[in-house]
Amino acid sequence: MNHSAPLLEVRNISKSFGGIAVLEAVHFDLRAGEVHALVGENGAGKSTLMNVVSGVVRPDAGQLLWEGRPIQLEGPRHARALGIGFVHQELALVPQLSVAENVFLGRHPVIRGFVNFRQMHERTQRVLEHLEHRIDSHRPVAELSLAERQIVEIARAVVFESRLIIMDEPTAPLADRDAEALFRSIRLLRVRGVGVIYISHRLQEIFEISDRVTVLRDGQRVLTQPTSQVTREELVRAMIGTELKERLGSAVASSAQAEELLRIQGSIRLTVHRGEIVGLAGLAGAGRTRLLEWLFGAARAAGSEVLVSGRRVKLRSPVDAIRQGLALVPDDRKTKGLILGASVLDNIALAGGRTRFWIRRSQEERAAQQWIGSLRIKAAAVSQPVVYLSGGTQQKVVLAKWLFAGARVFLLDEPTRGIDVGAKAEIYDMIRTLARDGAAVLMASSELEELMGLADRIVVMHRGGIAGEVTRAEATEERIMHLATGGSD
Amino acid sequence: MSEAIRPAPKPRHVLSLANLLRRFGPLLGLLILCGALGGASDRFLTADNLLNVCRQSAVNALVSLGQLVVIITAGIDLSVGSILGLCCVTVALLMHGGVPPLISVMGVLALGAALGAINGILLTKLHLPHPFIPTLGMMNVARGLALVISGGFPVSELPSGFRFWGAGSLGWIPAPVILVILFSAAFYGFLSRTTIGRDIYAIGGNWQAARLSGVPVDARLVLVYALSGLTAAAGAIVLAGRMNSGFPLAGVGGELDSIAAVVIGGASFLGGVGTVSGTLVGALIMGVLRNGLNLLNVSAAWQTVVIGIVIVAAVWVDIVRQRAVG
Repeated sequence: MNHSAPLLEVRNISKSFGGIAVLEAVHFDLRAGEVHALVGENGAGKSTLMNVVSGVVRPDAGQLLWEGRPIQLEGPRHARALGIGFVHQELALVPQLSVAENVFLGRHPVIRGFVNFRQMHERTQRVLEHLEHRIDSHRPVAELSLAERQIVEIARAVVFESRLIIMDEPTAPLADRDAEALFRSIRLLRVRGVGVIYISHRLQEIFEISDRVTVLRDGQRVLTQPTSQVTREELVRAMIGTELKERLGSAVASSAQAEELLRIQGSIRLTVHRGEIVGLAGLAGAGRTRLLEWLFGAARAAGSEVLVSGRRVKLRSPVDAIRQGLALVPDDRKTKGLILGASVLDNIALAGGRTRFWIRRSQEERAAQQWIGSLRIKAAAVSQPVVYLSGGTQQKVVLAKWLFAGARVFLLDEPTRGIDVGAKAEIYDMIRTLARDGAAVLMASSELEELMGLADRIVVMHRGGIAGEVTRAEATEERIMHLATGGSD
Repeated sequence: MSEAIRPAPKPRHVLSLANLLRRFGPLLGLLILCGALGGASDRFLTADNLLNVCRQSAVNALVSLGQLVVIITAGIDLSVGSILGLCCVTVALLMHGGVPPLISVMGVLALGAALGAINGILLTKLHLPHPFIPTLGMMNVARGLALVISGGFPVSELPSGFRFWGAGSLGWIPAPVILVILFSAAFYGFLSRTTIGRDIYAIGGNWQAARLSGVPVDARLVLVYALSGLTAAAGAIVLAGRMNSGFPLAGVGGELDSIAAVVIGGASFLGGVGTVSGTLVGALIMGVLRNGLNLLNVSAAWQTVVIGIVIVAAVWVDIVRQRAVG
């Protein structure tokens, strides 16, 4: 083995799909024991590059070197055999099976033709302990939190003796504290000499975890630097190609005197005024999604009543909630927000166009075109299925649906999850515009920075209840985390 | 922004071979089948025979329209064959009991819709895990009731005004074909021009998202299964008219024929996809196949084998086609 050679080297890799260049002569390398972050906007070519590295996509030109030797990857199986592991964004675990069975999925240790459960559990426990996580290997994965499931995926990569692990936005669904546990595991992998390619939209954690960072833009490599030698601004500029205007800009004028559009009273107390953005902070499992879905009539909860514009209302179903002018942008747009196979138009018209019997196609099309224009939805046509759109564009379609329905109270659950930096800025602008136009916005987010930049007030949840509230002026990360972890006010 | 480099998928209306295949694949299959059978038997491509095929396909076509709506919601209705049988016997018994044909027909259509609605209510209110369960139950209950009320014997000799809808013609067009055209037009308008139709596609595409967009999913599902029962009853009227008899074993296996027609017509079991025109073509493919094989003196046993193969082949072709489109 040549110790000076990097674990993996990618030279001049190019790849086109349907005549459109997705990767153009890209260089990339990863050393053993290194965490190399890969960033770029959606469509910059990150996924394609990783698909090349994991053997899913065959490049048109260029060379792959594994420990200094040129290789031709025959397919994903070949890459796995070499020791290239992939921790997927959409976790590839079987919920009904135990932790150990998932770790050994497809490669159960066998003794005389039977699965050797004892060895399987012992080895799983050993790996989990090594990763400094206490998860019972007998528990079914369905019972685990998202963070724990990710550890299981990492454990799987360790058991298969992966020498290179690709992590595609592993923290996207996690709250900050859970992300910390993940980072601990990554650092342990690094000590073992495993190389990690780390893809994320959250720049903060790039600085926290990575040794080097590479930026892709429009299929080309625009930057590779030791992380300690770049600034956040340089990274953002490299990603989007221009200076990003102050994303989390000026505060909206305080609106304490404005009409109260939404009030919850009872065991949970919360108000949102016209023109106000109220943030909802909390750790994963603190009950933010539950609260928003309950407000929207989609989940059961007891002990509180809801007033809209000062009138007490019963929201037994989303139908009731929509009639009262509420809108929910759910935490997972693919499973809850959109009909992926349906067109942009049908998605936009789904909620607002329901009041009549006959579809008024031309009227709906005009309105949809208007929202497509003003929200800058990048779709080829209103008849285009939303499944082909990028994450940010899909989220705009969800918002357009509620604007079309004439909603006044917007419940936003992680509205920028899995969205690239440029589109995030646009979503922030849209949220501000909503408030400026007189809507009330209640917005849950796991990114404190985002809440502190956008919200007039931040309500912090802990274990299903309200732990406290801070105004924009007094909001600091420490204070919010203090409340979110159960500290008293 | 860099999203521009993502290969922009073509909008649906663009004319391309893949799109044409996707749209007209089942129709193309039907035409090829007709051409082949015409070459194999000189009795196939005659006006009389083709009209006969249409008449024979009418019952399955009607039942399949309801099944289509169910399958669009990602459901399945196993009870349509039995509902058809129960309605077939009931309409005959009503008329034998002196009820005027028109009232009998209305009553039986209501009965079919009500039985279907029960399927929908069982599915949504009892939170049964899958439409397979309530409709499997209804399949047995309805068939059993058909045997009970008829004593297991056919109820023959029906009024001629009633028989018109199965055996009559308007000019040279068979009456059941007119019925199929009317029902198809209504279902087409309903599915593609009303907001309820859009709701139905949305439920099949992603019921969670549909619910969170304000679609009253439970109410829509009850309606969908009621429509499926309604078209099964319409099929019963045509069949009883054509056979001049209400017989308790009418429509045995009808649920499977209707599912086959819907699926051959390009609908997806995953829901959210399916058209009235595709389903009509699917029903015609089934009818042409049976008729052609009869003309070629293929035994009923072998016909069953061929139809089984065609069902699997049609769905497989559809999957290959979709993969080609991307």
